[in-house]
Amino acid sequence: MSVAFIPVQWNRSKWVYDAVLLGAVFVYIAAFLHWAPGWTEVTRPVDTAILRARAFGSCAFFMLTVILCIGPLARLDRRWLPLLYNRRHFGVMTCLVALAHAGFVLDWYFAFSELSKAQGLLVANTSFGLGVGFPFEVLGLFALLVLAILATTSHDVWLSFLGAPVWKALHMLIYPAYAAVVGHVAFGALQDQTNPLFAVAVGLSAGLVAALHWAAREAPAPAPTPDGPWEPVCPPDEIPESEARIAHLSTGERVAVFRHKGRLSAISNACAHQNGPLGEGRVIGGCVTCPWHGFQYRLEDGRSPAPFTETVPTYHLRLSEGLVWVDNRPNPPGTAVEPLALEADNENA
Amino acid sequence: MVSPDTLATVDSVLWLASAWMWCGLAVAVVFLLWGIDRVEPNARGAYAFRPLMVPGIALLWPLVLGRWLWLETDRVNPFSRHRPPRAWHGRIWLVLSIALPAILVAGLMLRTAGPLERAPLQIAPPAGESQ
Repeated sequence: MSVAFIPVQWNRSKWVYDAVLLGAVFVYIAAFLHWAPGWTEVTRPVDTAILRARAFGSCAFFMLTVILCIGPLARLDRRWLPLLYNRRHFGVMTCLVALAHAGFVLDWYFAFSELSKAQGLLVANTSFGLGVGFPFEVLGLFALLVLAILATTSHDVWLSFLGAPVWKALHMLIYPAYAAVVGHVAFGALQDQTNPLFAVAVGLSAGLVAALHWAAREAPAPAPTPDGPWEPVCPPDEIPESEARIAHLSTGERVAVFRHKGRLSAISNACAHQNGPLGEGRVIGGCVTCPWHGFQYRLEDGRSPAPFTETVPTYHLRLSEGLVWVDNRPNPPGTAVEPLALEADNENA
Repeated sequence: MVSPDTLATVDSVLWLASAWMWCGLAVAVVFLLWGIDRVEPNARGAYAFRPLMVPGIALLWPLVLGRWLWLETDRVNPFSRHRPPRAWHGRIWLVLSIALPAILVAGLMLRTAGPLERAPLQIAPPAGESQ
């Protein structure tokens, strides 16, 4: 949270997460190098250097696939949330595996000429107008550049410096990068594979990523109401104690309306840290706790408890016609708003 | 054989990439030694994390300079931080759900060894018949 930045905020769960991840990468690479020679044709043996490049390249592809699946899985089922917490470590490791793949490729295909490796990579194939023999290397280079940008900007200081919307927009480059990787594989490795296993695995991976994002897609913003800035949320009884209902406003924003000790409060649904869904969190110790990384905010003013300094916008609420209504004009982050006393208002209504 | 024009173009690209990185390193030195303390309260008195920012600044130095100027001139909208770019998600995935299968099918169709390629076309009679 908002204390002095340190290189990595290690804790026990992060150590376990990274150890499992590193172990999985090691097992995949070892298994690939052990089994893959048996899948090649006897008349077309594959060099060890190429096998290494393919092992790390395919590993990076599958890691990227898993990374892209984590977000929609966590939206569809909260049990996947633990995988989301340290997804940035996953991304950095994917970048390192992809860099190893690039290193093996450069050291084998572009290391034995008068040109430098970088020159060799860029001049080896410039047939951009062709389908067969399309320079798939450029697609991989683009994806690697994106992975490098995302890995090097994964630290919390970048989130704070750029702001979550800019940071998230930057990190949405992962989607064109994934398309580039699929193209890199389809126009590269798949062109001379005789075993259909890898093609099927790539197809299933891309299909899974697309299907999960489709299943977890956001609903469009509702039309503005005729009641000016006031928009209906739900009957107050539908909000469980210490939990929230998330209102999707016509402005495109989301508001988390919490019920705590018989009173209602509304704050922005977007956490100041990574824009995690505060409305999916619970009230713990009087503070809303973000389900993604545990950032906390007081309900009455949207401020993190001391010594932290994060703030989120607050909203005004009212009860009318048996419904909770929210004013869609946000108050400046950290503005105190008196919670709406539910029982008292019900008696007055 | 690589044509001189191609090699010259590639050398220009590599020179530009190198110049970009050197500019980025210069920006990183100035920003990490002086600028970050002015615009990022949580960085004051903290130094161990700063080297981690160098590669990112080298890659994205125009964005860093722009954001630095934005923060120095206090032009940041306090509400923008809480408006995630959600709307783009749906559009991106609409495009990708079409593009990903199309890329894969195109790759498989271009293969010379199946499974979706067109039947081979005989462009000349067999050697025995032409003689």
